[in-house]
Amino acid sequence: MADTRTIEIEVLRYNPEKDAEPHFQTFQVPFTHDTSVLQGLQYIKDHLDGSLTFRWSCRMAICGSCGKMVNGVPQLSCHTFLRDYYPGTVRIEPLNHFPVVRDLVIDQSDFFEKKLPSVKPYIVPKNAKPVSAGAHVQTPAQFQKYYQYSQCINCLLCYAACPQYGLKPEFTGPAALALLHRYNADSRDRGWEERAEILNSEEGVWGCTLVGYCSEVCPKQVDPAHAINQNKVNSTLDYFGVLKFLMPKGGA
Amino acid sequence: MQSVQTDVVVVGGGGAGLRAAIAVAQGDPRLRVALISKVVPMRSHTVAAEGGSAGVIRGDDSLNHHFDDTVGGGDWLCDQDVVEYFVAHCTEEMVQLEHWGCPWSRKDDGHINVRFFGGMKVQRTWFAADKSGFHMLHTLFQTSHQYPSIKRFDEFFCADLIVEDGRVQGVVAIDIATGEFRLFECKAAIICTGGAGRVYGQNTNAGIVTGDGMGIAYRHGVPLRDMEFMQWHPTALPGTGILITEACRGEGAILTNKDGYRYLQDYGLGPTEPWPRPKAMELGPRDRLSQAFWHEEQKGRTVSTPLGQVVWLDLRHLGAAKIHERLPMITEVAKTFAGVDPIVSPIPVRPAVHYTMGGILCNGQTETPLKGLYTAGECSSVGIHGANRLGSNSLAEIVVFGKVAGERAAQYAKAAPAGRPEAVRKQAESVESRLLGLLNRDKGDRVATVRDEMHEAMETGVGIFRKADAMQAACAKLTVLRDRYRRGLKLDDRNRAFNTEWLSAIELGFTLELAEVIAHSALHRKESRGAHTRLDEFKERDDANYLKHTLAYRTGDGPPRLDYAPVTITKSPPKSRVYGGEGKKVELT
Amino acid sequence: MARVKTYVRPMRGWWRRNPYYVRYMIREASSVFLAIYTVILLVGLFRLTQGEAAWDAWRAALANPGSIVFHWLALLTVGYHAYTWWKVAPKTAPDVRIAGRPLPELVITAGGLLATLGTSALVYVIVRWM
Repeated sequence: MADTRTIEIEVLRYNPEKDAEPHFQTFQVPFTHDTSVLQGLQYIKDHLDGSLTFRWSCRMAICGSCGKMVNGVPQLSCHTFLRDYYPGTVRIEPLNHFPVVRDLVIDQSDFFEKKLPSVKPYIVPKNAKPVSAGAHVQTPAQFQKYYQYSQCINCLLCYAACPQYGLKPEFTGPAALALLHRYNADSRDRGWEERAEILNSEEGVWGCTLVGYCSEVCPKQVDPAHAINQNKVNSTLDYFGVLKFLMPKGGA
Repeated sequence: MQSVQTDVVVVGGGGAGLRAAIAVAQGDPRLRVALISKVVPMRSHTVAAEGGSAGVIRGDDSLNHHFDDTVGGGDWLCDQDVVEYFVAHCTEEMVQLEHWGCPWSRKDDGHINVRFFGGMKVQRTWFAADKSGFHMLHTLFQTSHQYPSIKRFDEFFCADLIVEDGRVQGVVAIDIATGEFRLFECKAAIICTGGAGRVYGQNTNAGIVTGDGMGIAYRHGVPLRDMEFMQWHPTALPGTGILITEACRGEGAILTNKDGYRYLQDYGLGPTEPWPRPKAMELGPRDRLSQAFWHEEQKGRTVSTPLGQVVWLDLRHLGAAKIHERLPMITEVAKTFAGVDPIVSPIPVRPAVHYTMGGILCNGQTETPLKGLYTAGECSSVGIHGANRLGSNSLAEIVVFGKVAGERAAQYAKAAPAGRPEAVRKQAESVESRLLGLLNRDKGDRVATVRDEMHEAMETGVGIFRKADAMQAACAKLTVLRDRYRRGLKLDDRNRAFNTEWLSAIELGFTLELAEVIAHSALHRKESRGAHTRLDEFKERDDANYLKHTLAYRTGDGPPRLDYAPVTITKSPPKSRVYGGEGKKVELT
Repeated sequence: MARVKTYVRPMRGWWRRNPYYVRYMIREASSVFLAIYTVILLVGLFRLTQGEAAWDAWRAALANPGSIVFHWLALLTVGYHAYTWWKVAPKTAPDVRIAGRPLPELVITAGGLLATLGTSALVYVIVRWM
């Protein structure tokens, strides 16, 4: 191809069966104007070193699989392009603040097995009605109150960005708390009391010191920093027993 | 090998698998469900579906209309009794998703909004912006957390079924993190592993869409039905094949060639005005649109780009407000991956493989011929898509039949007799040694080499338009590739822990066999119907000889044995498939 | 997934690895100056209650070059603190929408900064003219 150039990609390698510690390995990778970082990794795996291990799937920034640190910044590797780093070296590492399983693969189990289920991420129905009664009515205004927070693709870039999560892994974290808010803010839900314990705890909103980097790196503009920090007011009101007069209850 | 005792195993954690698991759990919380998925469920390819999900809701719509659109769209290869069941149950599933929190887009009065989709006479496609699959999948995944009887095994790669006494008694999976094998002793299994788009090079599909479940069922004697019908989505980005949703056209977008001409009018889909108008022009069915592109390309009327030939998908006349509200993800995708802002420039698009109409044979209750094995979703051939699928029928399919599969598998599991754990364990151990054997080869092709050659053979020989000699060449090439695969691929990675090269070698084994099934099924269907169109002597639909389903049975190392089965016709005798023509301009909601 | 051996990367020196974190740490450090200045001011307030001699002595104690330098630094850092405070304030505000569009963060930030500057100016004028 006419405009093919070569870039240097430096990847973190770690083999739990052989290595005591991770180390870097460098590859020379051909690329064109629209080659993504992910495609660079795939080139290495297909042609240079089949043992390079990384997660990916959809290639279009919707599945959330391919998060990596690219030159120290959490990115989705499928929509980050090598042309923007040329002629420098592209350094690719696994997402920060998670244990490394192998090469660029992190241990995600803390999020999927603990943090996500802990926020009760499902509708606790305000008006339980059968399916035969049809859909709820939800006005555009009601819809807007939560929709942004439902856009999270669970890519975990925000956890890689959050130093509080890195320093104190008990912190529920940006994505999980944003999802908690998403359900609290949905007009069809009345589960805020069940979610209050998590929300109000030290591991909930009070673990956040508003670094704000989570919202910077979020590829879907979910703005978890906003989801968390607007709930500090709610949490305070709840502490003083005032919140329950403002929040929705069950029934019509 | 560690063993897990369970009742129902669901293989695949996408829309169909999650819906099935929830159905089992809701039906009887005492039944143990093991949900096995090679990726964490919200990474499943359901997440990438964009446009929407069909369900009759408008006063001017009817189940008969949905039925007619679907059967006509499928070029009369659909099993009409199953379609009748399907259309009657779509809407309730959409409402169920709404109750579970799915953020369906609304009209100003707060009621559900529906849009037009290709091949549909009336608006009935429920949508959540242009991320309907994403929202459906996340709703199902998050809802599934309420059911403690569903135990998830995330990043477990399903390697095989264990069949003893003529019925399913177990599933063997690889724990990807450790490379250890795990046996799931069960009474019933539901395969929901998705399509096989990765048989082709240019496709809209994720890397995980390798047809594993189809391959596994096929190896256990279950036939794969109608595999020759692969759908090319007419509007994918050149190069990557990333999907640009049909919803754009549902909102009124148009397709133009290098002369700015709306070329679809030359292919029986016109006239151009009034626009928009259902089942005409850009709202025609996908097979006709992809075929029109091919013709334009032959005539030299497509646009040359460094990434290949394209046509233009023009959204500009929709206006910034509508594009932002209804098509935000497409805007982002076009800017990021094509460097184009759809508000001011048209998007370059071309067809890419998108959906597998065929799949594992099952009846309208999702039962396969193998006792204890059920299937739902894209991996199945339940009979609703026929020779060509209408957009937004697939997202509806996964929940309608996901629920059926869950209910049926649960019923079966409760009544199934005790298994034979010793025999099951022995089989599991032989699966383990067979697959571990893939790690030891010191000579052979790289995975990528065989995969690229398979892609080349399929794109050239079994593409949008097919000819006998090219298909035969593809069949021959696939025999060679299967042989090279059998002699062994050489892996760089000999680890057990998280060895994705090993897994992609296992996947390639499935994909190669599916490619062979597709190529042979296509070669032997001597007619043109729906998405299977031939340029040789079989250019027309031949109801006299080919109003029947293709069934492909595995014969081992050789090519599949093909058989045929009748199509169930109830209310709609085969007619000619007509789109375009006269009509009134419609108000898009 | 704790069944596999994993490698945990140390957090030591985390804030130096990314300019975003460095700015965050400077923001947090600015509150140290704010705290010290607040204590000095509280002492001054207390001295005021003890009568004119105590008040004058407090003011004389602050009239040395070291203290002047500290106060200039404090003014700068507290100013920076106020700026960063208003920059993140929109994140603590509830979701406000005007005609379906979210309130731009700039409105809260700019409004807050203007209010701060305005109030500061007012206080300065009042003090000067007393």
